[in-house]
Amino acid sequence: MSSQFIYLSILVASIGTYFCRAFGVFSARNISTDSPIFNWIKCVSIGVISAVIARIILFPAGILGEATSMSRITCTLIALVIYFSFKKNVILAVSVSAISFVLINHFI
Amino acid sequence: MFSSISFKNGVKHAIGVPALGLGSSMFAFGAFLNSAGFDIFQSFLSTFFTFALPGQFVMAETILAGGTLLNVFLAVLLTNSRLYPMTVNITPIIRNIEIPKWKQYLAAHFIAVTSWFNMFAVHREINQEDKFNYFVGLGGFLWANSVLCTVAGYLFSNIVSHEILIGMVFINPMYFLIMTVSNLKEKKMICSILTGAALSILLNNLFPGWSVLIAGVTAGTIGYFLFKKEGLNE
Repeated sequence: MSSQFIYLSILVASIGTYFCRAFGVFSARNISTDSPIFNWIKCVSIGVISAVIARIILFPAGILGEATSMSRITCTLIALVIYFSFKKNVILAVSVSAISFVLINHFI
Repeated sequence: MFSSISFKNGVKHAIGVPALGLGSSMFAFGAFLNSAGFDIFQSFLSTFFTFALPGQFVMAETILAGGTLLNVFLAVLLTNSRLYPMTVNITPIIRNIEIPKWKQYLAAHFIAVTSWFNMFAVHREINQEDKFNYFVGLGGFLWANSVLCTVAGYLFSNIVSHEILIGMVFINPMYFLIMTVSNLKEKKMICSILTGAALSILLNNLFPGWSVLIAGVTAGTIGYFLFKKEGLNE
């Protein structure tokens, strides 16, 4: 892969990404926060995000795919259990989950 | 009108868990780009202009797999299409008629899952006229921090073990997960979240490129219409 191709790839990736954001701003120009479509879009947004998370955990791209599925699923459950057991402490849940993840992948 | 106080409050909000969660994954991404043969300037540009981690990983992997520019464009467009409904959703919240349109389009670059969740968590506590600057402070800091962390990850990848790097990538989805379950308050949100996750898993093999988008739109539509009568005004 040439250096020029990487620069062009970054350019087209940036255009593709910014298009989603800019078209979103354009589409939202007549939407108010108390309209039904706003509430529908909010449900769609959270649905898309939960779909992304499920995909990252079960079918990850990148270096996360080098970890075992068992470790990813186990540590996801650890994060949820810690979060709901310790007064919804975000830092504790994320930290314990990530440390457990590293340890499991190191020793197993 | 620019309010430096609301901008600073947005920056303060970003410092801590939001910046740490996103920054750690960007650090790992920088290390990944180093091992993939990118140079430091290319790594810097990737986060500077894209600032959407799943799409950045897809871009790098499509290049490594020998894809064409069209492959890169379509793969990134599809992966980052989640930003469209998120932007449609956040724009009316931070809208301020005194802010020129070009600034709204510029600020859209800071819309990502982390900034979206964190803005939604606090927007009711902020005056309408301050929300735009607050978001620019919040999202802008996360963006700048991500650029720095990508470069740091590129430079210091040799002193961090590969297992730790994988662990750092895992922090961000766990942070997203916790922020998502913190929305398990209204029935329509619970339904959208659970259905989105389930459909994403079921559809992954059938429509690898489209599963997230189809799952999210279907789940959100089901959640919205099943519980339409539940308190509509957010």
